[in-house]
Amino acid sequence: MDKVRTAAVAPLKGLVLAALALPVFAHGLLTLLLWGPVLVLGLLALAPPPIQASRRVTNLWRRLIGAVTGVAIPVPYRPLPPRPGPDEDGAYVHEDHVYKTARAPWLFIRLSAWADDPASGRDLGWMLLYPFVAGALAVLPAALIAAGIAAPLLGYPMWTVAAVPLGLAAGPALVHLTGEWSRRLLMPIPPRKLARKVARKRWVEDKGLILVRGAALGGLALLGLPLLLMSLAGLVLGIGLGMVFLLPPALQHFRWLANLRRQLARDWSGVDIPVPYRLPQELERRPDGRYRVDRQLFKSERMARFNARFALIWKDPANWRDLLWLAIDPLVGGLLGLVPILLVCYVWAWTFAGVLALFGVRHGTWYGAVAGNVVAAIPAGVVAAAVGVWLAPRALRWHGWWTSILLRPTRAALLAQRVERLTQTRTDAVDAQAGQVRRIERDLHDGAQARLVAIGLTLGAIERLMETDPAAARQLLAQARDTSAAALGELRDLVRGIHPPVLSERGLGDAVRALALDSGKPVQVHVDLPGRPPAPVESAAYFAVAEALANAARHAEAASVIIDVRHRDGVLRMTVHDDGQGGADPAKGTGLRGIERRLGTFDGTLAVHSPRGGPTVVTMELPCALSSPKTSTSSATA
Amino acid sequence: MRVVLAEDLYLLRDGLTLLLRSHGFDIAAAVDNGPDLLDALLTERPDVAVIDVRLPPTYTDEGLQAALAARREIPALPVLILSQHVEQLYARELLADGAGAIGYLLKDRVLNADQFIDAVRRVAAGGTAMDPEVIAKLLAPRKATAGRVASLTPREREVLAEMAEGRSNAAIGHKLFLSESAVGKHIASIFGKLDLAPSDDVNRRVLAVLAYLSE
Repeated sequence: MDKVRTAAVAPLKGLVLAALALPVFAHGLLTLLLWGPVLVLGLLALAPPPIQASRRVTNLWRRLIGAVTGVAIPVPYRPLPPRPGPDEDGAYVHEDHVYKTARAPWLFIRLSAWADDPASGRDLGWMLLYPFVAGALAVLPAALIAAGIAAPLLGYPMWTVAAVPLGLAAGPALVHLTGEWSRRLLMPIPPRKLARKVARKRWVEDKGLILVRGAALGGLALLGLPLLLMSLAGLVLGIGLGMVFLLPPALQHFRWLANLRRQLARDWSGVDIPVPYRLPQELERRPDGRYRVDRQLFKSERMARFNARFALIWKDPANWRDLLWLAIDPLVGGLLGLVPILLVCYVWAWTFAGVLALFGVRHGTWYGAVAGNVVAAIPAGVVAAAVGVWLAPRALRWHGWWTSILLRPTRAALLAQRVERLTQTRTDAVDAQAGQVRRIERDLHDGAQARLVAIGLTLGAIERLMETDPAAARQLLAQARDTSAAALGELRDLVRGIHPPVLSERGLGDAVRALALDSGKPVQVHVDLPGRPPAPVESAAYFAVAEALANAARHAEAASVIIDVRHRDGVLRMTVHDDGQGGADPAKGTGLRGIERRLGTFDGTLAVHSPRGGPTVVTMELPCALSSPKTSTSSATA
Repeated sequence: MRVVLAEDLYLLRDGLTLLLRSHGFDIAAAVDNGPDLLDALLTERPDVAVIDVRLPPTYTDEGLQAALAARREIPALPVLILSQHVEQLYARELLADGAGAIGYLLKDRVLNADQFIDAVRRVAAGGTAMDPEVIAKLLAPRKATAGRVASLTPREREVLAEMAEGRSNAAIGHKLFLSESAVGKHIASIFGKLDLAPSDDVNRRVLAVLAYLSE
C-alpha cells in the first residue's frame, strides 16, 4: 500500500524539486553577482550580511529537499572563530596591524574563515548545477506520465502502456537520486576528498608558479633586444664617430638586467652566479703630482678619473661577456623561458576551436587544426600541455645554467677578486698588528718599565738609608716589593691580552672554558675538537669568541650564554648564542667589525642573527686543518 | 720535612731552594722538567711538592699534569702549584678529587717569604692555600648573579674568602679584627645559608666551600 502511495506521490515530488530549480539558480547567480562589488570595488564591509543570509537560505534548501526526497542533508558550515578580544592596551591586534575597535579584525577573520570553508564553493556549485540535474532527473517521472497520457491523443496508444508505469516505477528512485546528489554536494566535504582537493590546488599553484617564472624570465630575455640595439648603437657611434664617452654606457647600461638575472638564477633556478665585475681602484698619485693610469700619466684628476673608469669598463672581460650574453639571450633565454607556458596556454586556446567544433560552431581549419581536423587538435593540445608542464621545471633549471655560462666570473676574474680580498685582509691584518704592537709598547712604557725605574730609585734610596735610618729603609723595602708586585700584575694582564697562557697551555677548548668561568655569567661551553688548529688561527678564534662573549655580557644584557666550538669538513665553527635583547648589527658595532676583520685575515666569516628582542646567535667560521689528533670532547657549565 | 721542587728557571729554582732550606725544609729533589718531576714525585713521595705549572719539554701545563698524575697514584699528595697566572679552570681541576692538600699561588707570592712558607706548611699539613686572585675570581662574578652566595652578608663573604684561602678561625679573626667565637658564628651562618653540614675539619670545610663555589 505504502509503495503504491510512494510511487504515486513521486512524480509530484519531482515536480516540486523541478520548481525549486528556478529560485535555487537565481540564488546562485545572485551570489556570483554579489562578489562583483565586494571583490572588484573592495566593499568588503558589505559582504557579511549577504553571506549570512545566503547560508540561511541554503539551509532552507537543505531542509526543503530533505523533506521532499527523504534524504537528510547535514549542515556543513565550520563554526566561526571567536570574536577577537582586546589586549592589555585595549587595542585589537590582527596579523601585523593594531585596530582601535574589533570591527575590522572581526570582518577579516570572518571573511577569511568563509573563504577557507570548502562549503562556500560547494554550495555555489550545487546552486548553479541544480537546474540541470534536477531538471533532468526530477522532472522525468512526471514527464513520462504526461507523455503517456498524451500519447493516445497523438495516435500512439501503445506508448501509454509503456510510459506511465515506467514513470510511476522510476519515480521514487529518481527523486531519491536527486536528493542523494544534493546531499553529496551540500553536506560537509569528506576528509579524503578535501585532502585530494588541497593537493590538487597545491599542484596547480606549484606548476603555475613555475610556468609564470619561466614566462617572466622569457619576457626579460626579450626585453634584452632593445637594450642590445642601444648598446650596438653606442658602440658604432663611439668607435665610428669617436664619441668615446658613449662607450662605457654602451657596455654597462644593461648591467641591472644582468644582475637581476643573476639573482633570479639563484632564487628560481638554484644556480649561484657571483657578480664578476672588477672593482674601481684608488687613483695612484705620483710624487710629481701626476696621476698614473696603467702606463699613462695625467695632469688633471678629472681626466685621470675618466680614463681610469674607461679602462676599468673597457678592459673588464665581464662586460664583453655581458654584451655577448645580451645578444644571444633573447633567442636561448627567450625560448627556454617561454616555450613551456606557450605549450600550456597557446595550445589550450588552440583546442578551444576543437571544443567549439564539437558544439557545431564551424570556422574553417585555418586555426587550431591538426592534419586538417579541428577536433583532432583536442588530444594534441592535451599532450602538448602535459609536455609543457613536464618541461617547465627543467626549462627553469636549464635557464639558470644558460645564464651562468656567460654571466659568471671567469677563472681570471675569480682570481682577481681573490687577490683583491687578500690585499684587503692583509692590510687589515697589518693594521691590527701595528696597532697591537703600539699598544704593547705603550703599556710596557707606562707600566712595567716605569715601575722598574721606580724600584731602582727606591733601591738606591734604601742603599743610602740602610746605615743611617734602618726603619725608613725597611719601609721603603716594603714599598719596593709592592711596586714589583704591581709591575708583575701589569705584565700578567699584558700577556693575557697578547696571548692568554691558558690558550698556549691547553688549546682553544679549555681557553674558552676559562673565559666562560671568568665571565661572571652562566655560560655553557660545548667543545668538539679532535685536535688543535694552527696557532695564529687558534688565537684569532679565541679573541673572536672572547669579543662575542663580551658583547653578549655587556650590550645584550644576556642572562645566559651558550658557546659551541666544533670542527667539521675543514671548517672551525664557533657559535655564541645568548638570550639577551638582540638588535646587534655588525655594521654599527665596532666589536663585531673587529671580529670580522680578525677572522677575515684567515678567510673566516662572521654571521650575526640578532632580531630585536633577541636571542642573538653569532656564528664565526674559520677554514683550517687540525693538527695532533688529541681527543678533547666534553661539556662544562660555569 | 722533605720537599720536591720543580722549576725550570735556574735562578728561581736556586732561590726557592735557599728559601726552603733556610726555613728548615729538606730538598729531596729539584728538577727542571715534567717527566723528571713525575719520576721524583713517585719515587721520593715527598711531604710536599712545590711545582711550576709551565715546564719543559712542551712548556704548556706540564707541571700541573705531572702533579695531577702523581696524585692519582698517591692520593692527597700535598702539592703547591706556582704560576705566572692563575686560572679558575686549573683551580677546579686541582680541587676536583676533594682530597685537599692543594696550594695554587701566583709566583709573585714567593716575594713575601713568610706568607709563602706559611702556605707551604699549610699544604703539607693537608690544608689548602688558594691565591687571593683565584678567590676573588671565584667570588666576584657570583655577586651579580642571584644565587645562594648572593644571600651572604658582606662580612660573611669576607670570612668565606679568608676561609677559602686556607686560614684558620684564629687567623681570620686576627685579620678581620673579630673574636674567634664571632668568626665561628659567621662560619656557622655561612654554612647554614649554603646548605653545608658543619664539620670541625678546616680542610673539608674549605673544600666544601670551594666545591660549592665552583659548581
